[in-house]
Amino acid sequence: MDIEAYISSGIIESYVLGVASEEEVSILNCIRKNNSAVDQAIAEAEKMLEDLAEIQAVGMPMALKEKIWNRLQDENLVANDNQPELLPTTQTLSKDDSIQQQTSSAEEEPKQAVPIRSYNWAIAASILFVLSAGANLFFYQQQKESSEMLAAANNELHSKKAMLATLQDKWDLVENPAIKTISLKGIETKPDLHALVYWDQQSKAVFLSLEHMPAAPKGKQYQLWAMVDGQPVSAGVFPLDAKTQMASKMLDVAKAQAFAITLEDEGGKDAPTLTELCVMGSI
Amino acid sequence: MSPLHNLSEETLILLLKKKNQQAFSYLYDNYADSLYGVVCRIVTSAEHAEEVIQDVFVKIWKHVDLFDVEKGRLYTWMINIARNAALDYRKSKGVRNELKNQPLSNIVNREEEQDRSQNERNAQADFIGFKNILDKLKPECRVLIEMAYYEGYTQQEIAQQLDIPLGTIKTRTKAAFLQLKTLLKDYR
Repeated sequence: MDIEAYISSGIIESYVLGVASEEEVSILNCIRKNNSAVDQAIAEAEKMLEDLAEIQAVGMPMALKEKIWNRLQDENLVANDNQPELLPTTQTLSKDDSIQQQTSSAEEEPKQAVPIRSYNWAIAASILFVLSAGANLFFYQQQKESSEMLAAANNELHSKKAMLATLQDKWDLVENPAIKTISLKGIETKPDLHALVYWDQQSKAVFLSLEHMPAAPKGKQYQLWAMVDGQPVSAGVFPLDAKTQMASKMLDVAKAQAFAITLEDEGGKDAPTLTELCVMGSI
Repeated sequence: MSPLHNLSEETLILLLKKKNQQAFSYLYDNYADSLYGVVCRIVTSAEHAEEVIQDVFVKIWKHVDLFDVEKGRLYTWMINIARNAALDYRKSKGVRNELKNQPLSNIVNREEEQDRSQNERNAQADFIGFKNILDKLKPECRVLIEMAYYEGYTQQEIAQQLDIPLGTIKTRTKAAFLQLKTLLKDYR
């Protein structure tokens, strides 16, 4: 099929206006899956109607906000707040408990296993010694396994906690009204890249999360720049040990009209290497 | 525009799935006016538009779990919910039939005289900040977008009513999109 002709046939316009027939829609859905040009043309047309809706916005009566919220509550469509998301933690805790129980019974049993009442004490003692040594070895092994399990459980707890903290940090940023979020989009040759800058308008603190950027190659590091009256000012390098999606704290920025990221040698530079520009976004 | 307007769609979906008051507030503060603008153009009385937009929010809220990122943009999805709800309402109130029963000459005339949109504009005086970008399109293009997008006519129906060949409708719709694209650039 000639894709150019298909795109210019007017089908995409019919589709986004909601007037294409069912058959046309199913053909289009099939083609867009396999053809990025069609997919992109649809996205562009949709974006245009989004822009139109934005510009043609009409102020909603103030009272409606509460009215709708009340209706959602009445219809039980609202999540219970304060549901603590502690699932991983409780699981790990209960594992810890059982491990502790095992350990304590392991210490008690050898004591019980040494009765002194025997007329042939020498044989009994030797047998008991062998038994006790065997039991000790067995329980020692078991305890070792238990501690390994405990260590593994602790590790898991730590990584879950770190993950939760990352999400929590980002969530706090998103919810903080003083934070301005600036979306940094990939430049022409790297359209897929995307990063977010969270800029606290009160404390001037800047946080960066690399939403969709490849890991920096060895010896390189991403560096954030604030454009201040046309001059790039470094806002620090993105920590090498940080996970890309983590919102990492960068240097404070008092004033800026735009942000950009370049890929620099480890440690960063005083001035950006413009050929290594990855993403940028203005405020 | 809200400082958080740049929230990526993925983040917004995550937020909405929490179904708490913050999520609702964010949704309302950032999208209510745009969606209401769409509804108002289809349901032209303020009282009825208020009714429809409430249902729209309940629908978005209920169905956001079903939204599939693979299949398109969240904002477009919300706009389509608003548009369909408003068109359904319009149909249920027989607005469409009234129009259909008008003598053909009236319908054809409106292309030149814009009498119907004048009426609608009077009705739309109820709404705060009503801006009609489409007015800046060439009349023969504008009417196509209005009839398809805001009145829910199929292109065959439009072709019959305006007595224009279907092929011409398709070419003109395409031209309308190009004009609109240039117009919208000026507003950015």
